Amino acid sequence: MKKSLTGYAFIAPWLLGFAAFTVYPFVTSIYLSFTRYNIVTPPVWIGLGNYRTLLTGDPLFWKSLGVTFSFAFAAVPLGVILGVALALLLNLNLRGMSVYRTIFFLPSILPTVATSVVFLWLFNPEIGLINRLLRAIGVTGPEWLQSPTTALPSLVLLSVWAVGGSMVIYLAGLKDVPAYLYEAATIDGANAFQRFRHVTIPMLSPVIFFNVVMGLIGVFQYFTEAYIMTQGGPEDSTRFYALYLFERAWRYLDMGYASAMAWILFLIIMVFTGILFGTQRRWVHYEG
Amino acid sequence: MTRRTSDASRGRIGAIAIAVLLPVAIGLLLSSRARLITAANPPPVAAATKRIPVTYWHMWSGQWQPAMDEVVADFNASQDKYEVIALQVPYAQADAKFMMAVAGGDPPDVMAQWTQAISTWSEGGILQPLETRMTPEERRFFEQETFPVIHENGWHKGHLYGLVMSVDLYACYYRPDDFRKAGLDPDKFPETLEELTAIGRKLDQKDASGRLTRLGFLPQGFTNYAPSFGGGFYDATTGKTSLDTDANRRAMSYLVDTSKAIGIEKVRRFNSGLKSQNGAAWPFIDGSFAVALDGEWRVLQLAKYAPDLEYRVAPLPPPAGGKRLASFSNTGFLTIPAGAKHSEGAWAFIKFWSGLDNPERAAKYSTSFGWLPSSPRMANSPDYRAFLKKYPQYEAFVTLAASPNIVTTPPVPYQLFLLDRLITVDELAMRGALTPTQALAKLTSDTEQEKGRRKGLGYE
Repeated sequence: MKKSLTGYAFIAPWLLGFAAFTVYPFVTSIYLSFTRYNIVTPPVWIGLGNYRTLLTGDPLFWKSLGVTFSFAFAAVPLGVILGVALALLLNLNLRGMSVYRTIFFLPSILPTVATSVVFLWLFNPEIGLINRLLRAIGVTGPEWLQSPTTALPSLVLLSVWAVGGSMVIYLAGLKDVPAYLYEAATIDGANAFQRFRHVTIPMLSPVIFFNVVMGLIGVFQYFTEAYIMTQGGPEDSTRFYALYLFERAWRYLDMGYASAMAWILFLIIMVFTGILFGTQRRWVHYEG
Repeated sequence: MTRRTSDASRGRIGAIAIAVLLPVAIGLLLSSRARLITAANPPPVAAATKRIPVTYWHMWSGQWQPAMDEVVADFNASQDKYEVIALQVPYAQADAKFMMAVAGGDPPDVMAQWTQAISTWSEGGILQPLETRMTPEERRFFEQETFPVIHENGWHKGHLYGLVMSVDLYACYYRPDDFRKAGLDPDKFPETLEELTAIGRKLDQKDASGRLTRLGFLPQGFTNYAPSFGGGFYDATTGKTSLDTDANRRAMSYLVDTSKAIGIEKVRRFNSGLKSQNGAAWPFIDGSFAVALDGEWRVLQLAKYAPDLEYRVAPLPPPAGGKRLASFSNTGFLTIPAGAKHSEGAWAFIKFWSGLDNPERAAKYSTSFGWLPSSPRMANSPDYRAFLKKYPQYEAFVTLAASPNIVTTPPVPYQLFLLDRLITVDELAMRGALTPTQALAKLTSDTEQEKGRRKGLGYE
């Protein structure tokens, strides 16, 4: 008992912080999602009003949900494919590989705000570096963030910039693949693609699973880049769910409504995570 | 064995003591530091005279910080009862910080507000009424002698929740040298918007590849042009929004048609090639525009960043059948939040700065900020006349300030939503995704849906 007390005493600062800044707001937001609450005056209980209005009387809710889903279904697979591809390249036995790894990893540790501001300039259709380079080879570049058709794909491209974070995890996964599996496959006559398809991918699948789950959770909460670079425009084409939630809470002073949005988002994330966990038996191989 | 047990016990007690005391010690250290910081902040006068502290939050930084400091210093020097303690808050965090402070029961006594949300916040019970604090003479002066844009804004449901301090108005900045080079007389600024638009095309310049290098005049921003067409977004007589109107449709059609005439794609590319809209990078300075509709604050910026640039300012000419001396306006307010501890002191400071009791005195502060006068008395004060002599370009704005044709953000509780939707439908129309008629219909339908949403949740 005394031993336990000692342990709790040591983690007390964290426990207190966790209770005050995570558990309390978490639980409170459940209650607030059933209220009309403008932050300043006391919340008023309205039952399922917020949820009902969100689902039936708010086109922007559906619009923002659509934007977020489109982004998630583009950015997550792209991140996985590029992350694995990069990891495979950086797993080769070449001189100076650690330097290349560092270079590809660096963008993922840069502050998002700084990266967003830099890309705001890079994506400038007229004076941005990307379109200048395209112009140099005779190609008229797109309008990137300034057109409703290309703004969202531009943000998907930007998400690739930070792929180094997941790449490192894939790289660690690749290092864990036992060499004897490749040797056996080679002896059995498997070519490079077959070794990749039937050895590397299955052995890497737990890491891919982890990155897909984390990536999905991350993209459903996508906020900073859109807040800094597009503010939801043009024409609501980048009005992400989290951005709209923020606007409802702090700009339109509808904290109860925003809390309901947060809980719907939480449920969506839980459902997708559950689906992923449900399907993992079919495609994730836990070996060794 | 006993000794070992005792040692172990002592070790555990020590460990628990350290674990418990360490955070307490850190907390104490931080709180003592916080006290030190707080104690160091107020000017020494406060401690010496024990005046009532009036906390004031504002967002005036950069070139405006000295002007703000001057107002506070002058007020404090004039007082033996109150002491204003000013805190400059970064604009990006100001609203959230303010909300949290009000919700937490510890708001400032005075808060400067730039967000066009007086109605939203008043509806939410965040602000205190101000008109009840005015003496009869102050009320008479406010309602009868200040310009309409001053005394008609900041009201919600019959109460004044924000006193307008600064008024941003829009007029045409133009470069006489560009006019001369194009064979135009700079002394004869166009009388109509149609004429100005035609002149704008004469002032356009392109490079060898046909890319625009200068736009003579590019009208954009629905809210900026609607007032000249007689449009607006609110009907004060009915107390309701007024969005899908003929005047607004004409204004939007004019913007779309002009953009189409130049080439929507060309305009977009030209706009995206502009450096920035801020300070020295304002495109008018580098000659990207020969005529630019912009706010009065550019006068002081031009004096600072381009003192040798020859330019003039004229009110936006009206279209055929439109309104003269019309402009959209964003206004800055002074407010007293609900829960302010020293609201009397807050009002004393607001009165002092706004010049409700002495506009001639307050003129000095308006000139320091580069603001427009709030009343004819202020405009005619020696300080303001000297300012106008130094910056004659302000005359056009002073004339506008007195106009009854100034349109502001509708005083409805969902005003920020409405402003955001205005921007979206403007974008949709300017890109050709919707016709002006469709855009205004969408604006109306989005607004009605928001009203319905609020009603359904019990807000209205």
